[in-house]
Amino acid sequence: MQTIYDAKISDYKTISILGHCFDNKAMVHLAKHLPTAELVAIKKFNLDKIREDIELVESEIILTRQLSHPNIIPYITSFVAGPEVCVVSPLMAYGSCRDLLTRHFSEGLLEPAIILILKDVLSALIYIHKKGYIHRAIRASHILVSDTGQICLTGLRYACPIIKNGKWQRAIHSFPNSTEKNLNWLSPELLQQNLQGYSEKSDIYSIGMVICELANGSEPFAGMAKTLMLTEKVRGCTPQLLDRTTVPREETIECGGDTDISANVLDRRFGRDLHELVSLCFHWDVDMRPSASQLLSHSVFKAVKKAPPLPELLKPALPLSDRVGYDTEEMENFDALAKMSQLEIFSCEWDF
Amino acid sequence: MPLFGKSQKGPADVVKALKEAVNSLEKGDKKAEKAQEDVSKNLVLIKNMLYGTSDAEPQADIIVAQLAQELYNSNLLLLLIQNLNRIDFEGKKDVAQVFNNILRRQIGTRSPTVEYICTKPEILFTLMTGYEHQEIALNCGTMLRECARYEALAKIMLYSEDFYNFFRYVEVSTFDIASDAFSTFKELLTRHKILCADFLETNYDKVFSHYQRLLNSENYVTRRQSLKLLGELLLDRHNFTVMTRYISNPDNLKLMMNMLKERSRNIQFEAFHVFKVFVANPNKPKPILDILLRNQEKLVEFLIKFHTDRAEDEQFNDEKAYLIRQIKELKPIPGH
Repeated sequence: MQTIYDAKISDYKTISILGHCFDNKAMVHLAKHLPTAELVAIKKFNLDKIREDIELVESEIILTRQLSHPNIIPYITSFVAGPEVCVVSPLMAYGSCRDLLTRHFSEGLLEPAIILILKDVLSALIYIHKKGYIHRAIRASHILVSDTGQICLTGLRYACPIIKNGKWQRAIHSFPNSTEKNLNWLSPELLQQNLQGYSEKSDIYSIGMVICELANGSEPFAGMAKTLMLTEKVRGCTPQLLDRTTVPREETIECGGDTDISANVLDRRFGRDLHELVSLCFHWDVDMRPSASQLLSHSVFKAVKKAPPLPELLKPALPLSDRVGYDTEEMENFDALAKMSQLEIFSCEWDF
Repeated sequence: MPLFGKSQKGPADVVKALKEAVNSLEKGDKKAEKAQEDVSKNLVLIKNMLYGTSDAEPQADIIVAQLAQELYNSNLLLLLIQNLNRIDFEGKKDVAQVFNNILRRQIGTRSPTVEYICTKPEILFTLMTGYEHQEIALNCGTMLRECARYEALAKIMLYSEDFYNFFRYVEVSTFDIASDAFSTFKELLTRHKILCADFLETNYDKVFSHYQRLLNSENYVTRRQSLKLLGELLLDRHNFTVMTRYISNPDNLKLMMNMLKERSRNIQFEAFHVFKVFVANPNKPKPILDILLRNQEKLVEFLIKFHTDRAEDEQFNDEKAYLIRQIKELKPIPGH
C-alpha cells in the first residue's frame, strides 16, 4: 500500500537545496518526510515572485496530478505554505540529465546510457500523446533520473491539450507562454507560427535535440542568437552527434587546434542506428517524421537490452542519498536570509 | 480492419454493456475486476466514437446522435458520475471527456444535453460534491466548468444551497483541488454577466459574509485569488449595484487598508485595485469619508512610497497619482 503523504509543511523537514527551476522562480529542496523518514523532493514555487505565471504553476500541478505513468514524475501531494506552493515528489537521486551533463559528462553520456534514457522518455511520450497532450518542453533538464536509473519526464507546465472544444485537433496554433528557455529544442513548425500549425510530432523533433544534447553534452544551438537559431532550423540545419564520422579530423587541425572539440570526441563513434534515429526525428516533412511509438520500435532499442543498468553507465556520478553528504550550510544561510526578509514590514498604523 | 476490436458494436450495444458493467461495479460483487475492465473498455469505445483517435476520424453525426440518445434514455451519465470513485484512474478521465463532448452537442441552436441535464439537476449536484473526494475532484472540476459555460446550468448551480460549499472547497489543504475549485467558482460568478449580477444582488448578504472569510483566509493563495476576483467583480459595470453597496461599508474599507500593508506585494497590489474604488466614489458615505480623513496624511505618504518600482506600468502610476490627488483634496462634509 502506498504511504499517505499529508498536505502540510510540518510533516517535512527541509535538508538542503537541490536546485532551481522555472527561471529561478521555484526552488527544489531535499526533504525528509518525518512520519516515514523517507527522502523526498519538494519543489517550492514562491508565488510572491510570480505575478502573471501563476496559472502555469496551477496547470502544471493539475495536469501532472492527472497523469499516471512510471516515466512521468508523480506529484504525491501539493499544498500551500506561506506564500509558497509546495509540490512533493519522489526524490530523483541523480537529478536531471542536464545536471549529469554539467557536472560529470561535459562531452556527453555513453551511447547505451543515452539509449536507455531515451527508451523511457519515449514511453512517457507515447502515454502523453495518447492522453491528448503535446509536451512542448522536452529537454535534458526535464528528464530526471532516480537512484535505480528510472527515468521520469517532468516540465509539464508548457504542455497543451490536443483536445479543444470537444474535438481532437489536427493542428495546434497556440504558442507556449514563458517558453524562452525552451526555444532551442522546439520544432521549426512550432516556432514559425504559421497557418499550418503543429502537432504532437513537434515533440519528436525535440527528441532529436535531446539525443544530441545527451550525446554532445552541450545544449543545442548554445550561444546562438534566437533569430539565427530559427533561420537555421527553417533552413533545415540541425545539430548532429559529434563523433569521428561527423567531425573531420583535418578541419580541426587546420583551425590550428584552437577548437572546443577534444580528442576524445574525435575518436569516439556513435552507432549508425543512433545517427539514423536522430535524422528521423529531424525529418522536415512532419508526416514522414515517426511517432513516439514508431521510434520506440527502432532497432537501436533492441541492442541495448544487454546493456548494464543505467547507474553503472553513469559512474562516476553518484546518486544523492543519506550517505552522500549534502551541503547543509547553504540551507542554514538560506534560512537566515528568509528570516531577515520577514523583518521588512510596513510600519505605519491606520487610525480607524 | 475494424476500428474498435473484433466486432464493431453499435452505440446501443456499447451503452448497454457499459451500464451493466457500472452496475456490477457498484454492487462490488466477485466480478468486480472483470467489471472494471469492461467499464474501461467501453468508455474507450465511446470516447473514440466521439473524438476519433490520432489516426481515426470521429464517427458520423448520425451515430453520435444515436449514442447521445442512448445515454439520455439509459440515465448512464448520472450513473457514471455517481460511481466515478469506483472507476479506475484513466477511466475517470474518459468519463469526463465523454461527458464534455456530449454536453457540447448541438442541433441547430439547441443544446440537447443541456436541456437533458436541466431535467436531471442531480447530475450537477453530484458533480459539485465531487470536490469532497480527492480522487475524483479534478475530474468533476473539468465537467463542472464545461457545464458552467451554459447559462441554464450555471443558474441551477449558483442558486443551489450547494454553491456555498465552494467557499470551503477553494480552501482545502490540497493545492491542486483548491485551485481547481477556485476556477470553477470564478467561472460561475463571472461567466454570465447578467445572471451573476442578479445573483449577487439578491444574495448579497449571504455571499459577502462567506466571501469575507476567504479574504481573511490563512491560506495565501486563497487570500490572493479571492482578493483579485473581488476587484474584478467590483469593477465590472454589470455589478454596479453590488459595487455601490460594497464600497459603502466601512468594514470593507478597513479590510482593504489593512491588506494594502500585507507582507506579500502581490496582495498589496490586488488590494490597491479594490481600495481605489472606495476613493474614486464621488458619493462617499460619511463613515467612509471619516476613515479616509482620519488617515489622510498617512495615506498620502503611504501611497507615494507604494510600489515605486512599477515605473513601466503607466496605468498603475496614473491611478496612483489620481488617488493621491483625491485623498489630498478630501474635505469634511460642511455642517457635520
